[in-house]
Amino acid sequence: MKPVRYFILIFSLFATLSFVARKNTHIGRAVNDFQLRNTNGTSTSLASYPNAKGFMIVFTCNHCPFAKLYTERFNQLNEKYSKLNVPLLAINSMDTFVYEEETFKLMCDKANSEQYLFPYLYDNMQTVGKDFHAEHTPHAFVIWKEAGKWIIRYSGAIDDNGEHPELAKPMMANAVDDLLANRLVQVPETASFGCAIFYRK
Amino acid sequence: MRHFKVTSLIFICLLLVANIHAQTYQALRIPDTLSGTTFNLVMKDTFKQILTGQQTITGGINGDFWGPTLIVNKGDLIHMNVRNKMNDTTTLHWHGMHLPAVMDGGPHQTIPPGVLWQPFWTVTNNASTLWYHPHLHEMTVEHLMKGLGGLIIVRDTDEAKLALPRTYGVDDIPVILTSRRYDANNQFVVQNVSYGDYMLTNGTPNAAVSLPKQFVRLRILNVEIERGYDLGFSDNRTFYVIGNDGGLLNAPVPVTRVKLLVGERVEILVNLSNDAIGSSFDLKAYNSNQAFGFPGGEPNTSGQFGSLLNNIDFPVLHINVAASTANPITALPSILINNTYWTAANATVTRNIAITNGQPGPASVPFNFDNVSFAINTINKTVQKDAIEKWTVTNNNVFGHTFHIHDVEFKIVARNGNASSVGAYESGWKDVMYVPRNENVSFVARFTDYADPIHPFMYHCHFSNHEDGGMMGQFVVVDTTQTGTQTVFNENDFVVYPNPASSRLFVKFNDINTRAYYIRITNILGRTLMMLPQPELSNGVDISLLPAGTYFMQLTDLKTKSTVVKKFVVE
Ligand SMILES: [Cu+2]
Repeated sequence: MKPVRYFILIFSLFATLSFVARKNTHIGRAVNDFQLRNTNGTSTSLASYPNAKGFMIVFTCNHCPFAKLYTERFNQLNEKYSKLNVPLLAINSMDTFVYEEETFKLMCDKANSEQYLFPYLYDNMQTVGKDFHAEHTPHAFVIWKEAGKWIIRYSGAIDDNGEHPELAKPMMANAVDDLLANRLVQVPETASFGCAIFYRK
Repeated sequence: MRHFKVTSLIFICLLLVANIHAQTYQALRIPDTLSGTTFNLVMKDTFKQILTGQQTITGGINGDFWGPTLIVNKGDLIHMNVRNKMNDTTTLHWHGMHLPAVMDGGPHQTIPPGVLWQPFWTVTNNASTLWYHPHLHEMTVEHLMKGLGGLIIVRDTDEAKLALPRTYGVDDIPVILTSRRYDANNQFVVQNVSYGDYMLTNGTPNAAVSLPKQFVRLRILNVEIERGYDLGFSDNRTFYVIGNDGGLLNAPVPVTRVKLLVGERVEILVNLSNDAIGSSFDLKAYNSNQAFGFPGGEPNTSGQFGSLLNNIDFPVLHINVAASTANPITALPSILINNTYWTAANATVTRNIAITNGQPGPASVPFNFDNVSFAINTINKTVQKDAIEKWTVTNNNVFGHTFHIHDVEFKIVARNGNASSVGAYESGWKDVMYVPRNENVSFVARFTDYADPIHPFMYHCHFSNHEDGGMMGQFVVVDTTQTGTQTVFNENDFVVYPNPASSRLFVKFNDINTRAYYIRITNILGRTLMMLPQPELSNGVDISLLPAGTYFMQLTDLKTKSTVVKKFVVE
């Protein structure tokens, strides 16, 4: 048993170190409202949802193979949490000048053909992505309304298994559950990974 | 009853062992092949299930980690359609190929995201195992770490005449060696990592392969960041080196160990004729107790220069012996091909390169050559076309390195000044050589064809972290016998038609001797869509993939290297 225990000790030490070493924390920072074109033909902002307690904001895109794994989960999460006044908004902040597959036209085609049941928004000036410091597709945030401001309460991965949702630990949804229950978010920050979002200078 | 219990206990134990083995080993992935004369390669960001749990973000060429093996024939004119669908600019270099510098895919031939790059050349290399990989300066570590790259097998008639194993994936096996370190989310650690902790052989962890009971050929490539491998088999059997980086040796060289540094390839024959079907053994790295300076010999198990695989012997491929195939190779050829090597006496130019800097300290400069770090606009050496040159690389520095040169295959002629110190196992054509600490190594090469005073070839350490740090230089090959009058090339010198065009766009020069050197097609926003080095224009340019709209063709002519822009419309 001894070696196993040592291993766990070493492992937890590493986990602690890597947590301490993480910088540029997003948690507790306020983000601005925005007004973005929606693939359903309208224009969407946070203020479009007067009853919202919070939002799941997921940065995603058309072409990234890893981001593509999450479409069905976005539908399910939006279905479940919209009813609890925490809707999901998907935002595409990819540079459409460089990536032809990320044009608004192709976003609309994708939202139609794959039956997106959540708003898919076009951040063509990349201002929202920059405001959130979104790094990858996908990169998930949970923001919560506190004293009239939108505060980031979760940043990172949607869950911990892209290809096998049935095996995944749903970190973003857990954060929403914590907030809905008026608890501190137990795991407020995880690493996001996927295709990198490059910002125009 | 007691006896029965013990037997069943043993049986259960055996089952458990079998089960553990079944879980431990994974079938070695054999990369798909592409053959012919036109190759479509799509570079993309993707992911792969490598560990249990979260998938790992990787880079792929037509796949998810490590690209297809390209099979090409000496003498063929081959065309590459390289499309970059990654979120990042990159390049694709044809390591070991003799081709024009503008096709080479070095740091100058950048491919922005979304762009199609179409180099082409006639294969003049001998039958050999080459490879392709990104080569963007300061990004090589990151792009190689993602798994971008692939093997190239060159075939020719001399090799085809020999009784050698050459059924790909059956008795002719690609073995691509690398390792990775993972973070808590199963992602590759890219920053400040010289060595991985866990092997990936052809992208497979804990790889195992079934090989037939006969002579089998392994084409082994080291695609590590820094680690070298001192390869041998777990039963210390003798095996036979038949090829180096640039092709077959004159005759097989029997060895029990062979060192393979980053970028090097070795082709070996292994005799499985005497192995029992169902038996198994390992190809292993015997990396413990190496002389100081061997990369991967450091004792640390973690940190930038440490690894769980450092300074130990570890398996890189588990081999299970299976039944022989229908037409097995059962004998070792006594001779292979008749190479004519350059000797030191053939060299008319001698160059010396010292490995400098790299020592830790407050004013530390990363490793470089002759105290000069790579600068993209500096040509470090000028070589006369057809010259035979002897280059000596001297490493009186703190650690071992490799030296790789583009454009040519060379012959190592001396280690520390002694021809006799060059190993028989490295006696063939090479394009990467190990330069251990406290050693100088000399090679001789002939720089034929493809003179181009503007576009350089690279020479560099193939440890990609050293290369990214500036341990790289550039040379041009010039032809001083060619003199031309410099007339300015202008927009009246050619027409582009039809306009509007739909599937093909043709270029007609007023002077039939004019040749296009480079064509870049951009859209109205200035976004580059196609890059065509030295395009062959008799059949026009295929523009069928361009949506209707207005475009610009930037055409650079071969003679004056001046660029003219013309507008055209696609309907
Ligand atoms: Cu080096």
